Amino acid sequence: MHVTDRTDADLVMSAARGDVNAFAELSRRYRDGYSRFAVRMVGDRDDAEDVLQSAFIRAYRALDRCRDPARFGAWLYQIVANECRTFVVRRARRDRRLVHDELRLHETPAASAADGSDTLEDVQYALDQLDVDQREAFLMKHVEQLSYEEMAEITGDGISALKMRVKRACARLRELLEEVHDV
Amino acid sequence: MSDRHLDSDDAFAERLARVLGAPERFGDDFERSLVAAIQADRPIRWKLRPRARVGTPAWWRTPATLRLSPLAGLALAASLAMVATLGAMRVARLASGIRPPAATVAAAAVHDTVTLVRFVFVGQAKTVSVVGDFNQWGAEPTPLVATSNGAWTASVPLASGRHEYAFIVDGTRWVPDPLAPVSSDDFDTKSSIVTVGL
Repeated sequence: MHVTDRTDADLVMSAARGDVNAFAELSRRYRDGYSRFAVRMVGDRDDAEDVLQSAFIRAYRALDRCRDPARFGAWLYQIVANECRTFVVRRARRDRRLVHDELRLHETPAASAADGSDTLEDVQYALDQLDVDQREAFLMKHVEQLSYEEMAEITGDGISALKMRVKRACARLRELLEEVHDV
Repeated sequence: MSDRHLDSDDAFAERLARVLGAPERFGDDFERSLVAAIQADRPIRWKLRPRARVGTPAWWRTPATLRLSPLAGLALAASLAMVATLGAMRVARLASGIRPPAATVAAAAVHDTVTLVRFVFVGQAKTVSVVGDFNQWGAEPTPLVATSNGAWTASVPLASGRHEYAFIVDGTRWVPDPLAPVSSDDFDTKSSIVTVGL
């Protein structure tokens, strides 16, 4: 049987026995699906690729703890989400140490769209201003279109807390984006 | 004011999702790198990249200046007075002989579960501050004050436990304490460790 015809569960069991090619096939199956989430969470393509790589490596090393190999995708999502959160929090700590960030002084201003519509740069930068919990909840709900039940399974948080985060994220994003359009 | 205010949360979110929903794909090199990393069995480290934001709208920019509150300065002065004797002894010891950049910390006074910890940096500098988990890594950096012996000092009240810190020299240079145990994060950034009251 060709590797692409094998089930997730079968590939997980092979990978857990050390078959790296089986894991590479799992990566090909899920990589594109999680790339957008990682890029939007982290706010930078290169950083997101690093984070996705490190999440997948952690997953490989923890395959013996994947209790339900048939639901490998959901288990991997938990690891990706966790890796994104950890990266964002630690990068924020690192950035705070750069008290005089010369790069920021040399940014090239970009005009917003002439018709007042939202550009990806505007929205991504607004997203970057949210705290990591709100950013994650907003992306999962409205961009990745997960149900609150799925979000609760991935994050381990309660549904009402997640709903509150999404609501607050919307309010904050609205506030931030109104500023740019009113300038 | 625009009619954006009239959007419901769902309509607003849907509008943003159309922008954020553009696909992002990494190349097929992704699996090659992944397999190589797995086979090499290296510790996971993220790269330290400058966060250049080409295209960041001008209205987002914030002034990048060091802010010190006058109240924090007064509190610091009061703290220094409390530990003057022990501090002076340590500064004198550090300041004698050859003086490579060096620093250390000393617990000076204990009040309930809070200990006043004295940070000392010896080296050439125009300004020195200390950042750590106790001041949110520089959200409000604690400035060190130059002494007549050429050392820089500040006293900071710390709760019992393990704390990580580093010095910022001349506003930009990150210097871990050469005399303290070192910790390293996932970016391979070195910080120093002080353990209080344990």
